Amino acid sequence: MHGEYKMPGGKLIVVDLELVDGHLAQVRVSGDFFLEPDHALHAIDAALEGQSADADEHVLASAVRARLAPGVMMYGISPEAIAVAVRRAIDPDTAP
Amino acid sequence: MTRTLWRDHAWQLIHTEPQPPALHMALDEVLTHEVGAGHRPPTLRVWEWGGPAVVIGRFQSLRNEVDADAAQRHGIEVVRRVSGGGAMFIEPGNTITWSIYAPLSLIKGMSFQEAYAWMDAWTLEALAELGIEAWYQPLNDITSAGGKIAGAAQAHRGGAVLHHVTMAYDIDATKMLEVLRIGREKLSDKGTQSAAKRVDPLRSQTGLARAAIIEHMIATFRHRHGLADGALRADELTQAKVLAREKFTSHVWTADVP
Repeated sequence: MHGEYKMPGGKLIVVDLELVDGHLAQVRVSGDFFLEPDHALHAIDAALEGQSADADEHVLASAVRARLAPGVMMYGISPEAIAVAVRRAIDPDTAP
Repeated sequence: MTRTLWRDHAWQLIHTEPQPPALHMALDEVLTHEVGAGHRPPTLRVWEWGGPAVVIGRFQSLRNEVDADAAQRHGIEVVRRVSGGGAMFIEPGNTITWSIYAPLSLIKGMSFQEAYAWMDAWTLEALAELGIEAWYQPLNDITSAGGKIAGAAQAHRGGAVLHHVTMAYDIDATKMLEVLRIGREKLSDKGTQSAAKRVDPLRSQTGLARAAIIEHMIATFRHRHGLADGALRADELTQAKVLAREKFTSHVWTADVP
């Protein structure tokens, strides 16, 4: 499943994932944003892995935020925007 | 660490013969490290491309961004760079690319947005002198009334900031669109239906040869910030060649975000 979200004033965030028994699996976040340090991307993917397919944007954003080490810097991307892209991947019909 | 100014540093220029795309990726990593470690003075490097390439951003999905069949058909090498941002389509002679390697002190206390504009204030001055009124369009574009001119990207590594920019000189937009899968979503806030119109060639706006624009830009940097002619050290080139072979041409790196 594939979701995209262009954060207003930010960059494109893309999420590819599978659903296994109602949970997110093989989550891969990508896009043309900026992230320091670069390995924080793997922490973001790991934070989303195994989340319930019913998790709302708030829950997903909180999970990402909790997993990020202090000092991680984001530009053009945010935990909330990642959460929107995830929901769009799961609910393609509701994307505007 | 206090903020330093451009003139506090003894800037050095590197502008060598054309080099393979993967070696350019490796040189950015090596030279950022060398400046961060205090082994070389802050440096401006102007790139010459030895072959066509698609350069994808650090966090972009290889599969989502690049049409691998089209790239292969056109003999285009696909490489992933160390900085974030979007994919670039490169043919020798169709872009103007440079990197700035500086101590982090040069952007100390700045927001990302301020740091991008600060690192390219000289670029806007150089373009103005060529008759192009350009401005920074956050997050990381340089644009003009005629369209987008350039994209910038930064990465922080071990005490140094890498800031690199690619300007469109004479892009073959049709070929670019064959090779890059440009997302519909990405274009949603650009106010245009046509991706081809998003990149406005510098050639059409200045009528100047690519080499003349580069020469003028170097002169502007020299005048504004000070710039001595320099060269790659042999050990830097050796390190970069190893890195190009072992990392930047490897599928493990290029497909790190598959």
